[in-house]
Amino acid sequence: MHASIVESIRPAGMTRRQFIKSVIATGAVSSSGLLFSGPAGAGPKASPGAVERLITLDVNGQRRRVDVLPQETLAQTLRHKLGLTGLKVGCDRGECGACTVLVDAVPQYACSLLTQSVRGKAILTVEGLARPDGKLHPLQQGVLDEQGFQCGYCAPGFLMATLGFLVTNPHPTRQELAHGVSGNLCRCQDYDKILTGLMRGAEYMRKE
Amino acid sequence: MAIIRDGMPPFDLFRPTSVDDALALAGRFGADAWILAGGFDSLERFKDRLKRPKAVIDLGGIGELRGVRRDGGDLVIGAMTTLAEVSRHPDICERFGLLAEAAAAVASPQIRNQGTLGGNIAQDTRCWYYRGGWTCYRAGGGTCFAGESPQGQNREHAIFGAEGCVAVNPSDTAPALVALEARLVIENHKGGREIAAEDFFVGPDKDITRLNILAPGELLTAIRLPATWSGATFYFEKVSDRPVWDFSLVNIATAMRLRKDRIEQVRLVLGAVAARPWRLSEVEAAIMGCDRNAAAEAAPRLAAKGAAVLPHNGYKAVLAANLAKRALLGNKDA
Amino acid sequence: MADNDALFTPKLTGRDYVTPDLRAKLTGSARFADDFRAEGMLVCKLLTSPLPHARVTRLDLCAALAMPGVRAILTADELPPPADSVSDSGAVIKASPWAERALTMEPLYQGEPILAVAAIDEATASAAIEAIDIAYEALPFVIAPLDSLRPGGANARADGNVWLPPAKPGERPRIGELKWSAAEFEAAGPDRLPLGKAANEWSYGEVEASLAQAALVLDQTFVTPNVSHQALETRSALAWWENGKLHLTVGSQSTAQTVPAIAKWLNMDANDIVVISEYTGGGFGGKITASVAAIIPALLAKKARAPVMLRVSREDEQAIGRARPSTIGRMRAGFAKDGRLLGLDMLVVMDNGPYEEQFDAFMAGRLASLLYQPQAMRWRGVAVLTNTPTRGAQTAPGGLQVSALLGPVLAKAARRLGLDPLAVCRINAPEGRASVGPPKPDASLNVATSAFVKQALDQGATTFGWQTRRSRPAPAKKSVRRGIGVATGCFVAGTVGFDGLLVITPQGRLRIHTGVGNLGTESFSDAQRVAADALDMPWEACEIVWGNTGRHLAWSCVSGGSQTIHAMSRAALAAGLDARAKLKEIAAQTLGGKPKEYAVGGQRVFRRDNGDQGLSFAEAARRAIELGGIYDGHQCPAGINKATHAAVAALAGQGLVAVARDTFPRDGQTYSYVATFAEVEVDIETGRYRIAALHAEADAGTVVHPRAFAGQLAGRSMLGIGHATRQKWFYDKEHGIAMSRRFYQSRPPTVLCCPERFTWGSVGIPDPQTPTGARGIGEPPTGAACAAVLCALNDALGDDTFLRAPVMVDAVLAAIEPEIRQATDGLSAKVSSFRVAG
Repeated sequence: MHASIVESIRPAGMTRRQFIKSVIATGAVSSSGLLFSGPAGAGPKASPGAVERLITLDVNGQRRRVDVLPQETLAQTLRHKLGLTGLKVGCDRGECGACTVLVDAVPQYACSLLTQSVRGKAILTVEGLARPDGKLHPLQQGVLDEQGFQCGYCAPGFLMATLGFLVTNPHPTRQELAHGVSGNLCRCQDYDKILTGLMRGAEYMRKE
Repeated sequence: MAIIRDGMPPFDLFRPTSVDDALALAGRFGADAWILAGGFDSLERFKDRLKRPKAVIDLGGIGELRGVRRDGGDLVIGAMTTLAEVSRHPDICERFGLLAEAAAAVASPQIRNQGTLGGNIAQDTRCWYYRGGWTCYRAGGGTCFAGESPQGQNREHAIFGAEGCVAVNPSDTAPALVALEARLVIENHKGGREIAAEDFFVGPDKDITRLNILAPGELLTAIRLPATWSGATFYFEKVSDRPVWDFSLVNIATAMRLRKDRIEQVRLVLGAVAARPWRLSEVEAAIMGCDRNAAAEAAPRLAAKGAAVLPHNGYKAVLAANLAKRALLGNKDA
Repeated sequence: MADNDALFTPKLTGRDYVTPDLRAKLTGSARFADDFRAEGMLVCKLLTSPLPHARVTRLDLCAALAMPGVRAILTADELPPPADSVSDSGAVIKASPWAERALTMEPLYQGEPILAVAAIDEATASAAIEAIDIAYEALPFVIAPLDSLRPGGANARADGNVWLPPAKPGERPRIGELKWSAAEFEAAGPDRLPLGKAANEWSYGEVEASLAQAALVLDQTFVTPNVSHQALETRSALAWWENGKLHLTVGSQSTAQTVPAIAKWLNMDANDIVVISEYTGGGFGGKITASVAAIIPALLAKKARAPVMLRVSREDEQAIGRARPSTIGRMRAGFAKDGRLLGLDMLVVMDNGPYEEQFDAFMAGRLASLLYQPQAMRWRGVAVLTNTPTRGAQTAPGGLQVSALLGPVLAKAARRLGLDPLAVCRINAPEGRASVGPPKPDASLNVATSAFVKQALDQGATTFGWQTRRSRPAPAKKSVRRGIGVATGCFVAGTVGFDGLLVITPQGRLRIHTGVGNLGTESFSDAQRVAADALDMPWEACEIVWGNTGRHLAWSCVSGGSQTIHAMSRAALAAGLDARAKLKEIAAQTLGGKPKEYAVGGQRVFRRDNGDQGLSFAEAARRAIELGGIYDGHQCPAGINKATHAAVAALAGQGLVAVARDTFPRDGQTYSYVATFAEVEVDIETGRYRIAALHAEADAGTVVHPRAFAGQLAGRSMLGIGHATRQKWFYDKEHGIAMSRRFYQSRPPTVLCCPERFTWGSVGIPDPQTPTGARGIGEPPTGAACAAVLCALNDALGDDTFLRAPVMVDAVLAAIEPEIRQATDGLSAKVSSFRVAG
């Protein structure tokens, strides 16, 4: 657990212990995700830097053991093996942003990251935001209050990109925030209302 | 064999934690190895089945390849330093703002968070034929579909230095590094060398199959910014169709030393107009010692001189000319 | 109506609220088709054609089938034969011999699916595709419509290159051959659409005479782009069979209507299909009733005896995900001195793709007659087949194109006549019960239910500050040019005749069962606010049941063509009134007196003369169950759709069941309108431009949910802006291959592409021909915004500067530097050659 990251994104008014409990609860979402059984890389494991298949990931504050192929992306692992389907794969090429998650509090495209490369790093997905009692993260609440997003497919990516951006700039202007989420595509093009909602959410985060 | 461009075919993955280990691996696998930096260029090509490496060496776990340090008056940037870090680093911003600006203009925030300076300059071309798996010269075939085919789509292709292949280097940071006279550290398991950034990039006249000189087994480990241009007058501008998340149609990176308005030293480099960053040497020579306003009058014609335009990219010559003028005036809103 | 109560009192209608689907979207718990998992689920991948037109000559699956983990492969010969379908009125619609199938051995475009592999995981399925030995015979192909119309040009299909009208009345349109002569191409020159023979035409009034009388006649050619829908969610689908029933999770713009569509494609009984589609990741017309690809996992699941997930990649979606057809329009428009459009002669060539006839060109003509009210008009059109992806309706199909084709013509006429472009928009704007072409058999025109476009233009101009902006001096910087534009847009905005279905539960809650698809417009929920208001129900006591036909949904319109808020608010109202009538009857039967002596309010039905005497909704629901018959759904009224019938039967006994078809009168065709104002600032040195301000003023009747309404106005305006500024696809025409496979190449707008200042307003005058007053708003902003931006660019850079949209960096620079504009191959060219002197 990387305390600083949790501190920066945990809903205010929630103790760190509560937050960790909440993300563990979320992470425990049941998953009948299929294990990949495709041809595995059979490299000589004695080499320096050779990777293990069975690894531990830190996802939403929970340690998850998972069997990972060398060529597997973080998006595949999270969606198919850990049942965290909040993030979406809209393009699989880093061109839409729907798969954005936080890696050590930094927004990244999970479709374009090898899962092996995030070992030892803290992954936060949209499932890790709301409290176990259902209380929304202030950022989510802000968007809810403004009826942000239309189809909602891009919403988890936008939320995670915004959270990461707010770590570096907690008091953004609307234009600065637009730049912060300019790596997220919304095909309903509800950008105007999304920005309004995210700005309100940022305001709630500062207040709480 | 049928084609699919989805998911990645299997490979062996190595995540060394030291440069020495990485070099040993690169040496051992040679041409069978693929060096992975931020991953945007690489993973796309794996998914598109354009590259099927046996072994992938991911440099992401090597701490010594990341970060910025001072070395006398120079700045040395680890090749795996992310573009976001480059764009925000206080020393870079203060002394070599040109590079910070160029790094900030790359793609999108997430790509800058993950993409690295080394990866950005070593990336391959985005020519849609080549990236689409067409067997062109660059891919070892016998034609250039963009430039030689009468109906070729070449809106985003080269106007300079195209011999056979008309692909361009899409990097936003490469022209900045050439303008700053950066030195690149290249290592293999036997040793290392440092070369001028300008000599790192190759055009189709030298080698039609690649954009840089990196050979199998070699790693780009660091980028050295010599004190030469520290604190100079800089200008960077990127023209693209989308204001974010797009490649340059044309970009320009310029470094100038001025005394009042008189140009004492200058380097102008265009990007996305050739297979390598395109230095406007003739413009530089012509305007040396001139007043910058007079230089801005003379530069456009010289900047576009020699442009060999294709049916759909004539506008790039106009951009080259106009950007040269704007760079010398130092005013984007001129 | 048995009493004089208002149909509904808008307590909820017209107000903002949190829609019932939003929370799940923000927590990641909303399940889209690809988010479902089933025990033992296989994953399916497609093998698609590398060629634009080909026949498969060799197919060897042995190596793929021998791979461990490969469970089944589906090829075209295993598809059921296309079924005839039966319309609601019972008419049999014969299956088309030209229709698109889910798989084919003669692909008609690059990227068309040939076969599908189901395997235990994605990696195995992909590896199996690569192991398939397949060979093709290349067949003739054509990418650009004009290339096919040229003498000797290739035909996209063996039997022709255009859609022709039926050979005999009552038959269906057919594919045939149409070529224009070399002389016609010659006469047009490189920049004008040749005036060749059209496949279809209609007219009213004396067009040539009107043009002859006109003070100004313009002859304009303009090209609108092919633009893929690019919904962020690809059309992935999960299928499994249980007790002979097919269960399908799929993204769809209609839950209810997807069932018969799937039944038709699979040639099976609709009663054996359950469609699950709670959330749809964007549709824009491309997922009206899901898509034919959804039958692939269904058939594979049957074959492999396991659930199958078809996971569609972005690249495959680019091929099978539908696109708006490009149009090339040539407009001869005659104007009076005051700017009135006297005559319009319009020829539209449409890039139809290889399959079903698209109606964008036709709609462009129909909407031109409405939007600009020409006194005489002729429309001619031809849908040309090309070997490019299947087209489909995309937000304002034909509506986007007509505004882009004609909006700039009106602005140009204004400049030529020395008039204010706003005045020319206004003098030609439809008003009240405006006429609409084409003429009916008796030669009269149809009429719109209402139009208040002049009010929209007036209000919009005020908010935008049109006159102030118009009189501002040019920017001080020489490299910056400013331009302003105004344009109108319209589209069909309502249908009638669908069903509403409500249950008042014994707990006193209102459950609303709707078959509308949820693709984020929120109309699936917004329309139901009217039902709640009809019963004076607080929203907290209402629950919407949607997105799963296994949960017994009413027959509903598809969420497309901007019809939902109109059609389904009427249906909701009809059901709400049925509930009210039944509550009163139950009260009368229980407490005595006549139904009309009762009123409904405060979740009670009570005596008008003695409010203490009455039943709570909970009590009335329990009474309804005791009474049975029509009250609790054991009997269903006539005139209800059979799908609703089935739902009512399943819900019988659960409470007071109210069900009704919308039979409210409507006289005329329902359309909505938007007037849009834009200001651009163009940097003529770089070719880049900013949309400094954009205002969209709607005339869409009563606004039911302001935030959702604003979202539609802004989002659909952005779609139009995309068409004006950046979005398109492009092909290598020599090889017939798409070059724009990625978002960075086709360039859908990002958040930074938005107008720097976006404002909106609504005239808000209720439509007199619908009891709820509401018309749809999903489509008309698109054409208005596209045209307003194009008009603003023309204002900045000059008329006759652009031959096509989108206007990108190269086109702007070509406008400034004429030497890079060399019309070598005219309409098929982009920006062409340039040689630098010296």
